[in-house]
Amino acid sequence: MPFEDELTALLPRLRRFAHALARSPSDADDLTQMTVERAIRSRSQWQPGTRLDSWLYRIMRNIWIDTVRSRARKEKFEAPPEEADSIGVDPTCGMEASMDLQRVMAAMQRLPEEQREVVALILIEGFGYREAAEMLDLPIGTVSSRLVRGRAALLALVGA
Amino acid sequence: MVKDETFFAWLDGELDAEEAARVEAEVAGDPKLRELAAQHRSMQARMKSAFDTILDAPVPESISTIARKPEPQVIDFAARRARARPAWPSLPQWAAMAATLAVGIVVGTMVPQRSSAPVEVSGGKLYAAAALARSLDTQLASAQSNEADRIGMTFRDQAGSICRSFTEARSSGLACRSGDRWQVRGLFAAPEGQAGAYRMAAGMDPNLAALIDSTISGEPFDATGEKAARDKGWR
Repeated sequence: MPFEDELTALLPRLRRFAHALARSPSDADDLTQMTVERAIRSRSQWQPGTRLDSWLYRIMRNIWIDTVRSRARKEKFEAPPEEADSIGVDPTCGMEASMDLQRVMAAMQRLPEEQREVVALILIEGFGYREAAEMLDLPIGTVSSRLVRGRAALLALVGA
Repeated sequence: MVKDETFFAWLDGELDAEEAARVEAEVAGDPKLRELAAQHRSMQARMKSAFDTILDAPVPESISTIARKPEPQVIDFAARRARARPAWPSLPQWAAMAATLAVGIVVGTMVPQRSSAPVEVSGGKLYAAAALARSLDTQLASAQSNEADRIGMTFRDQAGSICRSFTEARSSGLACRSGDRWQVRGLFAAPEGQAGAYRMAAGMDPNLAALIDSTISGEPFDATGEKAARDKGWR
């Protein structure tokens, strides 16, 4: 399948991953857009025959981490975020996102980033521990202990 | 009592058959664990079904249009390599080769056999070799004095691999970690008259600068990051 077709077919999954990481649906679509742009720009670095999805998830995760870090640097010099931010509900996202989606996105925002990415890859995107560990460049033991903590926190936040 | 990690690995289907059977038996005999397993399965199902609504939603046009955009005119090494392949009549000196390369792609069978050549081809890909590979492996930009090869920047590319720019006797370029080797992403001949000791005065080749710009993700490593990356084997 040509690169563009394969990329297009993966867009819904990339958006789902972006929603699991980002703090609002509009941030998630910005993240998806940046990922696609970067993937197109660096497509010669993708090795045909290897999995395109893992490569794209990696790109998205790296952009997301960069964004989170630069935002954290910026916020150090600014007023603390609004209360609406810290409880994770974006008042502007009600239009597009269902209540359920808003709730789970808010819950994901309460997790530390290192647990959020593990939960997103394994529980939402359905990757195995080893695949997630490879994408995140982490030992598999670290992935599994972060997943344990992330799961416990989510159970408390969204209930069974 | 089964460890948390093992319990959840069982729940996620990550254990081998033998260990899974052992945990299974333990859970079956423990109402608390049974309850915990049920809670987590249902929590995961709720999370998943909420996020799965995105799979059925239409992808915003702003995103699907870019995915279909024709490839921008950046340096596409794979395509250039394919075009360049038939053209080489004989084995040139390394310097002449580098000078001939617009954006630095070497042809599979034409690579110099001498062991000091700074690059080699394997499986149709170009890798750093000999002294250049050693410099990329060991040298820190923050602590170099009179080495033959100079390391410039170290950073991660958009897929997360570590890349380093370098200047050697007659060329400068960019190499990124691929397994245990350094795959050369671009190689640029030093302009006539700027080889050797004078090359440092010339500043960075603009083609190399453009290549770095399109490859880098985030910030270049500082001295501490560079050393830490070396200590971890450039993973």
